[in-house]
Amino acid sequence: MTITQVGSPSRGRRHSVALRAGALLVGMHVFVGLLTLVWLPYDPNAFTGGRLEGASLQHMVGTDRLGRDLFTQLMIGSRIALQVGTGAVAVGAFIGVTLGILAAFASKWLDDALAATLDILIAFPTLLIAMLVVAASDQASLWSAILALGIALSAIVARLTRILAKRVLVMDYITAARTSGSSWPKIVFIHVLPNIWPTLSVNFALQFGLAVIAEASLSYLGLGAPPPNASWGRILQEAQGTVYTAPLGAIAPGIALVSLAIGVNLLADGLRERVDDRLGDR
Amino acid sequence: MRNSALFAAVLLAGANFAPITLAQDYDPDATIRIGSLYEPQNLDNTAGAGQGINEAFNGNVYEALFQLTDAGTVEPKLVEDYAVNDDGLTYTFTLREGVTFHSGDPLTAADVKHSIERVTAESSQSSRKRSLSNISSVEAPDDRTVVVTLSDRSISLPYNLSYVWIVNDAAANITAMEDGTGPYTLEEWRRGSALALSRFEEYWGEAPTNGEVVFQYFTEATALNNALLTNAVDIITSVQSPDLLVQFADNPSFVVTEGASTTKEILAFNDRVAPFDNVQVRKALARATDKARLLNSIWGEYGTLIGSFVPPTDPWYVDLTDVDAYDVESAKQLLAEAGYPDGFEFTLDTPDYDPHPIVAQFLQTEYAKIGVKVNINIITANEWYTKIYQERDFEATLQEHVNHRDIVFYGNPDFYWGYNNPEVVQLIADAEAASNEAEQVEKLTQANRIIAEDAASIWLYLYPQIVVSAANVTGYPVNGLNSQFFAYDIRKSN
Repeated sequence: MTITQVGSPSRGRRHSVALRAGALLVGMHVFVGLLTLVWLPYDPNAFTGGRLEGASLQHMVGTDRLGRDLFTQLMIGSRIALQVGTGAVAVGAFIGVTLGILAAFASKWLDDALAATLDILIAFPTLLIAMLVVAASDQASLWSAILALGIALSAIVARLTRILAKRVLVMDYITAARTSGSSWPKIVFIHVLPNIWPTLSVNFALQFGLAVIAEASLSYLGLGAPPPNASWGRILQEAQGTVYTAPLGAIAPGIALVSLAIGVNLLADGLRERVDDRLGDR
Repeated sequence: MRNSALFAAVLLAGANFAPITLAQDYDPDATIRIGSLYEPQNLDNTAGAGQGINEAFNGNVYEALFQLTDAGTVEPKLVEDYAVNDDGLTYTFTLREGVTFHSGDPLTAADVKHSIERVTAESSQSSRKRSLSNISSVEAPDDRTVVVTLSDRSISLPYNLSYVWIVNDAAANITAMEDGTGPYTLEEWRRGSALALSRFEEYWGEAPTNGEVVFQYFTEATALNNALLTNAVDIITSVQSPDLLVQFADNPSFVVTEGASTTKEILAFNDRVAPFDNVQVRKALARATDKARLLNSIWGEYGTLIGSFVPPTDPWYVDLTDVDAYDVESAKQLLAEAGYPDGFEFTLDTPDYDPHPIVAQFLQTEYAKIGVKVNINIITANEWYTKIYQERDFEATLQEHVNHRDIVFYGNPDFYWGYNNPEVVQLIADAEAASNEAEQVEKLTQANRIIAEDAASIWLYLYPQIVVSAANVTGYPVNGLNSQFFAYDIRKSN
């Protein structure tokens, strides 16, 4: 029972539209993001055109106030979004799963205390927690944004992990493993994690979408990665004042952001349906 | 949908205006609604109220002994006449007769003494406190005479006094109330939204050409623009981006004026620290800055290039744009001579509001061409004040300097940028002690040239001052010096 079984082709043909559309959208961004590592149409910081040029063959979505090519910036934006999404989910998963498992195994009062703390943390909007973390760090950077979002997401992951793990811990085979003398790390890694992984991974996909949007919001507010990191949120923010003269500058990063967020959500939906099918199959 | 219907209605209304007849047919009791982004924090200009209080109150609610006019001249206001002793240390002012405060009290010399001492007081947060620090005493020998004694000669005293509101000495708390002598009284201040002034019927001078003035405050430029488009305000006091002007530029219902501003966008180095203590390094960076391209990026067709801190409206202006003109090759050469053939790296503390972040990115790309790496550190306006202005903990920063006649900052080695050239300090001190204006202008022009040659900072460009109004409104100030916005000549036709 590992994640490889989630994608087993035997089931869910009728659900595959969401999964395919999601995979296509996300795949497109992944492709563009990887492409930026080896090739870019222009130097993203070079003044390659005039002020606020419209769409043309040279500049597919025009230029910004400084005459920089917006398409190049949007491509880099894909990479930054994916970096932040992956990074934040990784941080959130690491902290969240660790805390969740600890809570599940902990004594009753520690468990209650952790659960209450998590509930309080979840009551705060993700973005607000992320803003607080950024404010506490010395200098805003891509890493501080990733860390902030990861910490903000970890509460949700921790709560989910705790509930899922507790459900698994009362199973007969766990009791069997315990009585046969398995150490608790062994129980966690052999029995608990593989069992809760499918549900968690769907949640990670959703968190990824959340992180991408939250990063754009942070950058829009000037709390994300500092310039010249071409985050979509920052491009959007810089285009805000010129929305009447150069609307493309605001529309294009918006479309990029929406397409990735929808893609990730469709992907998560598709995954969830498959997991549901498989679990329902039991 | 609803918006476009409103917009069409505005256009139709606009078509009815006959711009030619505007000057004569105005409504003497009209309400002028002025849209602004600068709501004051309180009503006292010595208590950190911000530039919004100058905009609303200078010349409108409060008057000073002298007035800095919109044209940039200094003219007597509450002073009828004044005399200076031969040593230039004693000024005797004779006050205008028949002036009353809004509360009904007559203006006396004691009020003037109180008002000047209010600005020079320990607790005062006035930005002009330092320029008045050479006042050693203020006496009121009779009701109409004020004698000001100075410790050093100060040719700018009348100018500096134009910043000192004359307040009734019996007035209690002027952070929330007012008691001035101006043509308007404060009618109502609704925090967060509007400040209403109404005509003061007992005003000593010429009566305003309108009945009421309402400053309406917005926190967002686009909302302010929409307010003018939908006829919710009559005037916008200062438009902060050329891209917001397209809605007004070719529309006969609106008038766009570009006046002279004193707001300078500058790259200020911390001249105390390496490598910026080296003149050649500063000059190299100046030559690596394509200011014309930057100005065009930020302001399109608007704004002015400057070669130093002095704008064309100051008497000591000379065109210095040729000093350290854009030349990447000579920039590289200078940098090599200064001992940085491979460039260096520095942190640019950048306030988080427009245009600073975009200017920082521009400089980052420009300086990369000569091997200088710029790390952009985004900070808030508050952080700027504590980290840079107070603690001087920075390498370089961006800031817009709004003050009028502020070259004197370069004569203060303690100022945040730490420029310390004894010759300039001396020239600026001598200019202040000059016995006539020609001498003052000569000294300050000399100082101006030296700071430019020293590239004390990099003066990127001068902001334009853009006012937009509905076409049926005329008579407003176009230059907005010292953020003032005199409302008493504004006329509105129906």
